Amino acid sequence: MNRRIAATAALASMALFLTACSGGTSSSEGGETASGGDGEAMGGTITMSAWNVASTPEFQSLVDGFNATNPDYTVEIVEYDTNEYDTQMVADLAAGTAPDVVTQKNQAYFSTYADGGQLMDVSDVAAELTPSQALDSFTVDGTTLAVPYRQDAWVLFYNKDLFAAAGVEEPDGTWTWDDYEQAAADLTAGLEDQGGAFGTYQHGWNAAVQGFANAQVDGADPLSGDFEFYKPYYERALRMQEAGSQETFGNISTNQLHYTSEFGTQKAASTIMGSWYVASLIAQQASGDADEFEWGIAPAPQLDESTVYPDGTPRTFGNPTGLAINPAIDEAKVDTAKAFLAWAASAEGAKAVASIGITPAVVTDEVVETFFAAEGAPQDELSKWTFSNEAITPEHPTSSLTPAMWTVLGDMHSAIMAETESIDDAIAAAEERAANEVLSN
Amino acid sequence: MSSTVAGAPPARRRGTLKVRNAIIGYSFIAPNFIGFALLTLVPVILLFYYGFTDWNVFTGATFTGLDNFQRLLRDASFWKALTNTLYYSALHIPLTLVTALSLALLLNTGLRGRSFFRTVAFFPYITSIVAIAVVWNMLFSETGPINRFLAIFGLTDLPGWTASAQLAMPAVILVGVWREMGYYMLLILAGLQTIPSQLYEAAAIDGANAWKRFWNVTIPGLRPTLFFVTVMLTIGSLKVFDLILVMTDGGPGQATLVLSQFIYQKGFIENQFGYASSSAIVLFLICIAITVFQFIWNQRKDS
Repeated sequence: MNRRIAATAALASMALFLTACSGGTSSSEGGETASGGDGEAMGGTITMSAWNVASTPEFQSLVDGFNATNPDYTVEIVEYDTNEYDTQMVADLAAGTAPDVVTQKNQAYFSTYADGGQLMDVSDVAAELTPSQALDSFTVDGTTLAVPYRQDAWVLFYNKDLFAAAGVEEPDGTWTWDDYEQAAADLTAGLEDQGGAFGTYQHGWNAAVQGFANAQVDGADPLSGDFEFYKPYYERALRMQEAGSQETFGNISTNQLHYTSEFGTQKAASTIMGSWYVASLIAQQASGDADEFEWGIAPAPQLDESTVYPDGTPRTFGNPTGLAINPAIDEAKVDTAKAFLAWAASAEGAKAVASIGITPAVVTDEVVETFFAAEGAPQDELSKWTFSNEAITPEHPTSSLTPAMWTVLGDMHSAIMAETESIDDAIAAAEERAANEVLSN
Repeated sequence: MSSTVAGAPPARRRGTLKVRNAIIGYSFIAPNFIGFALLTLVPVILLFYYGFTDWNVFTGATFTGLDNFQRLLRDASFWKALTNTLYYSALHIPLTLVTALSLALLLNTGLRGRSFFRTVAFFPYITSIVAIAVVWNMLFSETGPINRFLAIFGLTDLPGWTASAQLAMPAVILVGVWREMGYYMLLILAGLQTIPSQLYEAAAIDGANAWKRFWNVTIPGLRPTLFFVTVMLTIGSLKVFDLILVMTDGGPGQATLVLSQFIYQKGFIENQFGYASSSAIVLFLICIAITVFQFIWNQRKDS
């Protein structure tokens, strides 16, 4: 009798385990059927990958806008984890369960997909679009593998109220890095007896220093393995944290400070940040997570006066976000997917994302108007000028060496900024690593 | 069947009984084993193949012989990671062992409120690692409580620990010890309770003082437990990953880069799964070698 009970229990436990397993597989298969199994009749239904859909409304805007263009079209969003997006996407592509449209979230990973043969040739879609640097960065050997619908760029955000309180003149678009450094020091001094705030906030990412050197120094190439051109940018960053006109790297990393709270709650009078912060700052001021204050955007400080307002084109950097097609897509759906890509990368798609504060890849007068029509957006002329007059270098060069080189550059950045090594030593160490660990393989 | 005499079943029935018992036994093991085989065993076996290829997940893995291992020998980051891992282990293992043992001895006495303190000591182990990282990073910051406390003793001008090349590793080790001591304390507590109290009484009657009782009764009685704890601690320290990833991410520079993180970087960030596999094989072999050494040493001590 006991044995029978034991046997039943054992079988039951096995059954439980097996159903748990099959439960897992059937749900993922279910996902696949929804994406690919519906056959020719549903050639108008495609899936696209996305992340953090609840707080990233651009996907819904794109999908709604495109679905409205033709009653036969339906784009369904498949959500991925924000931080593990590329890891999960690599796994899904390798397993053959990825969606039809593969969104290119991090440009650093683009080459991984491209070299792995995971992106369909969409040169015919690209041929209809306005040429841009973003489009070029999705092109390998003349073949375009993704089209950009969004293009972020790093700009200077400044708090007009704090500038006035400190008696410092607002940026007028002509700032070089020296002007910026001086203003940050003046702001810090001017605000000292008014509750105190840092003149500026430069986030801990290596892009916050290196990205500008890559974009502004003539001939700069982070993949060359020669990093001497970063030196002046690091000297300034260290000088500024030494002078107390910005938070130190040590405090940023140990206290895990975030630019949204530093600038949003007026602990810093300005910050250099990517344009995605426009949408979140507007949202946070509306929700009360950020203080109420007047702000504007200006071009990022420049290396010299040749690229400043009003006659120059300021040089900055930023990541394009693109859409690509999974080569494993059902053949009947390719046309729909290409139509979606073409629409998203067009001026129409640009207006759809600009209306929610996202910087699109295509900038026309109408797009600028739509962008600044959002409630809470700055209204001054310089903000609008900045938006439409920038030369944007992609943050990550399109190369299979990029991810490995970025590991080396990231280590160099934290070593210099935490002042554990002198700039010269850290650059020399990084150059040696680049030569031995990246370029030689 | 009812005519069968108990105690002398026919041979056929004995056979089926054996089979049935075996089936029951295996079916109890099966759920765990299938999971282990699918998620751990098969990937580990595949690892030994991928380590000799240039696999990048998408395309077929081309066999490249010992290329990956030769590259490892030349890779300064790999050596840095290996040195850091050994540095972490060399301090983390003895410190955790000593604190866990001391806590267990203390909480094995008639101390008032000991079950409360046992829970408190175990608490870090079940706390989210991300929360641990955020809180400890703040405690270790330049103007944080730890530096303010040390300033009382004249140790001023200390940097934020996790932002300093010299202090980042000690900081991570301290948090590692704090996090894991409770778990190993529980294991040692269980071991302590298997030592018969008569042994202590006999030793006391023979005139052994507390120190002698500790060395001659407690430690020998704990030998199997301590052996198990040391082996687990060693393997755990050699493959430390999550704590470092969330506390320092290997930085500043490469000051706290450890082997598991090196493997993660090469595989999941740089998409060089073949190369990552070869470094995983090296880590695996180091763990095996040290564990085998510990077993041999333990057996020699036993005999």
